[in-house]
Amino acid sequence: MNGEGTSNRLPENEQSLPRAGDVTVPMWLVVLLAVLAYWGMLYFDWHSGWFDPRVYRPFGSVAVVNELQPVSGADAVLKRGQVVYETTCALCHGVDGQGKPGQAPPLAGSEYVLGPAGRLIRIPLHGLTGPIQVKGQTWNLAMPAMGAALSAEDLAAALTYIRQAWGNQAEPITAAQVEAVKAETAGRTQPWTAQELEAVQ
Amino acid sequence: MKGGSWVFAIALLGLAASWYGSVLYPQVQLGRQTETRTVPDGQLYPVARPGLAVQGREVYRSEGCYTCHSQQVRQEGVAVGLAITDAGTNLTELVEAILAVAPRWERARVAHGVTNLPFQVLDGVSPAEAGAAQKQLEAAGATAVITVRPLGPDMERGWGLRRSVAVDYLWDRPVMLGSVRVGPDLAGVGSRIPDEQWLLVHLWDPQIHSPGSMMPPYRYLFEVRPQGEGEAADALALPEGAGPGPGWVVVPRPEARALVAYLQSLQVTASLFEVPVVLPPGGGTAAGETQGQEAAQPSQP
Repeated sequence: MNGEGTSNRLPENEQSLPRAGDVTVPMWLVVLLAVLAYWGMLYFDWHSGWFDPRVYRPFGSVAVVNELQPVSGADAVLKRGQVVYETTCALCHGVDGQGKPGQAPPLAGSEYVLGPAGRLIRIPLHGLTGPIQVKGQTWNLAMPAMGAALSAEDLAAALTYIRQAWGNQAEPITAAQVEAVKAETAGRTQPWTAQELEAVQ
Repeated sequence: MKGGSWVFAIALLGLAASWYGSVLYPQVQLGRQTETRTVPDGQLYPVARPGLAVQGREVYRSEGCYTCHSQQVRQEGVAVGLAITDAGTNLTELVEAILAVAPRWERARVAHGVTNLPFQVLDGVSPAEAGAAQKQLEAAGATAVITVRPLGPDMERGWGLRRSVAVDYLWDRPVMLGSVRVGPDLAGVGSRIPDEQWLLVHLWDPQIHSPGSMMPPYRYLFEVRPQGEGEAADALALPEGAGPGPGWVVVPRPEARALVAYLQSLQVTASLFEVPVVLPPGGGTAAGETQGQEAAQPSQP
C-alpha cells in the first residue's frame, strides 16, 4: 500500500483533522499506575485476612478470630476429663465414682485420688497390683496400665475430673505434671504396689 | 504477525495469572483441609456421614435438589456478649455489679434476670469489654460466660447457627453448594427439622407443611399400596384429604429414606476455630436475648 496514495484520496476538508501521532507515555504515569496496582493488591490482601485458610468473612484477620475464641477454662478441662473418664475408667470405677465390689475401689473420697498428685498419676500410667487400703476397706486386685496409651493432656484432664467430681475437692493436675512423672518413671514396666506409692510424696 | 511474540507473552501472562488466582492458590489455601477439632470441646469434626446418608446424597444429586436449594449459610457479623450462667449466693451484690457493668439496665429487670438463668447481661460489645465485665461479675460471686453469637439474615431465618466453612464439606464429593435459593438453604436442615416424618411428608406433598411452596411433589419416591398388603409399619401419617384415599397407604421407597437420612445429616452447629460460637448453656433463652437487645446495647460490633 502506498501511504501517499491514500492521503491523496481524502477530501480537502479532512486534511486538517487531528491525527494520531507518537507520544511517549510519561514515566510518572507508569510509576503511578504500578504503585496504585501494588497498593490495590495490598488492600485486597489486607481485607481478605491475608488469604489465611482460617479466616472467613466477616472476620478480617486471624487476630480477630483469635480474640473471639472461647476461653477453654477449667470447665473445658473437666468436660474433656469426664469424656476420657467415662470411656476409659468408668467401666470398673463406675460413672458415679463409687467403684464396684470385687472389681475396683471407689474413687469418690479415696485417699489415693485426693492425695499427692505424683502418687495418683503413677497408678494409671503403670497399673497397680496387690493389697491396697481404700476408705477403710482392703482391696486385693490388679489394675492394668489404663492410662499408658492416653495423651498427657487427656490423662491430666481425667485425673482432674476425678479429683473434682462427686464431692471430691483437690488441686487439678496439669499435663506438665503428667509429663514429669512419665519422665521420672520412664522404663518402668511393673505395676505399682501400695507400699511403693506410699513412699511417693 | 508483527509483535506476535508480545501478544503471546501477554496472553500467557493473563492466563497464568488467572490460573494462579483461581486454581493454584485456592488449592494451596484449602486443598489440604483435614478433620479438625471443635472449640472448646475438642471433638473431632466433621464426622463422616452414615452409609444411608451417603446414598441419600446421590439421591439429592440425581433429583437435582441443588438447583433450587443452596447449602451455604452466610454470616454478616458476630455479637460478643456476656451471659450469667450461675448467680452465686449473694444476689444483692450481683445486681449492683450488673448495674455497674451495664448501667442501661433497669434494676427490676436485673433482679428478674438473676433468678432466670442464663441471663444475657451484655450483647454486642468488644471482647475486651466483655472480659472486663466478666471479671467484675465473677468478683461478685457469679459465673459468667463470654458469648459469641453469629449474626446475619441467615441466622435470623434459623438456617444455621453460624456460617458454613470449607471443612463442613470435607466428606462431600461433589460439594453441592447450589447457586439459587428458590427454596430455603439446607446446610443446617438436619438440626432445624430433625423429624423424619415431617421430611417424608414434605417430599410426598410440600403443600401439606408449606402451603404455597414452589417445590414439586416427589411422589415417585413413595409406593402407594392397598392397605393390609405387605409390611406398612412405616406408612406416612398423612392429613385428611392429602393421601391417595381410604384403603391405600403411602410407604417411602428406599430412595426417600436415604434422602431423608442425608437431610438429617446436614448440620451447621459445630463451633470451630474459624467460626467460634458460644451460647450460654441451656440455649440462651429467647427472653434473655431480647432483653439484652432491649438494653439498647449496640448490636453490631
